[in-house]
Amino acid sequence: MTNPVTESRRHFEDLAIGEVIDLGHTTVSKAMIITFATEFDPFPFHLDEAAAKASLLGGLASSGWQTGGLILRMLVDSFLSKIASAGSLGFSNLKWKKPVMVDDTIGGTVTITDLHRSETHPQWGIVTLDFDVRNQKGASVLSMRLVNLVETRTPTVAA
Amino acid sequence: MTRWFEDIVIDEVFSLGNHTFTADEIVAFATLYDPQYFHLDAEAAKHSHFGGLVASGWHTISVGHRMMVDTLFAEEERLRAMGLKPGISGPSPGVNTMDFKVPVRPGDTVSYELVVTHKRRSNSIPGWGLLFNRLTALNQRGEVVYHAELVGFSKLRDYTMPLGLKLMLALRNFPVLGALLKRRS
Repeated sequence: MTNPVTESRRHFEDLAIGEVIDLGHTTVSKAMIITFATEFDPFPFHLDEAAAKASLLGGLASSGWQTGGLILRMLVDSFLSKIASAGSLGFSNLKWKKPVMVDDTIGGTVTITDLHRSETHPQWGIVTLDFDVRNQKGASVLSMRLVNLVETRTPTVAA
Repeated sequence: MTRWFEDIVIDEVFSLGNHTFTADEIVAFATLYDPQYFHLDAEAAKHSHFGGLVASGWHTISVGHRMMVDTLFAEEERLRAMGLKPGISGPSPGVNTMDFKVPVRPGDTVSYELVVTHKRRSNSIPGWGLLFNRLTALNQRGEVVYHAELVGFSKLRDYTMPLGLKLMLALRNFPVLGALLKRRS
């Protein structure tokens, strides 16, 4: 059964281990930080400069969930919207290594580190993606391993 | 939680409350952070294996985080009302695992539950401890939407900084000495 939305996109068979995806860059403004924090993470250290200075963060920094969301957006634009993505199974080893401060620019790469067919669903393959995200000074701000489903072009059953 | 590290009880269950997801907020979140067709367009989503619009996993996590923060603030108020000084929660160093199980559809009500499964003192940040939290999100049918193991910082109540460390931190404020000490540590 073909999916008209994804049929012209890259499928499982078109991906290769070792492929590196360039995420591009995003600059994180004070307004962005406060908007996200107000809705999802209203700790004083994400909303108020003085409170942030006194906290472990040392200054106004984005919510870790916002940093992750912005990176996810970059991955959708650069990769997930160009493949026959069928959603994510989850992630592991998410590390917020350094706070993302007001006006920091984040970007980096994602590498395909594993590809295998689903044993239970022949229409799907499973792609493992390792993130290396850095700020404008080259310091690592986030790493994680995301596992995503991708439609196969030929749902062959393994021999 | 907003208790001192020493007062955190292992395996105590905190109900964080619930949230009903509307199609509008699913699309609004996805537009900013996860613009894949099955999170954005109900018609196109019919062609996906989901068979319709579903919330971004990052959205259901972010809402769960908000419910945790609200629960912390409520606990803080409760302790203050009792005349007690609440503890201090810090930022999170990371997430060990996050497993998405069942998608969230418009109209679904997701309830969130948090358990501290273990805790230990931080090796790298004096005066702070680490909490290992298990967060479970369930829909109105009791199906697991996701479960996660999250790590958080929590401040120690009974911590006195050793004199040597106090002295070193004070000396770091002098430019030349500070640079030398930072290089050594």
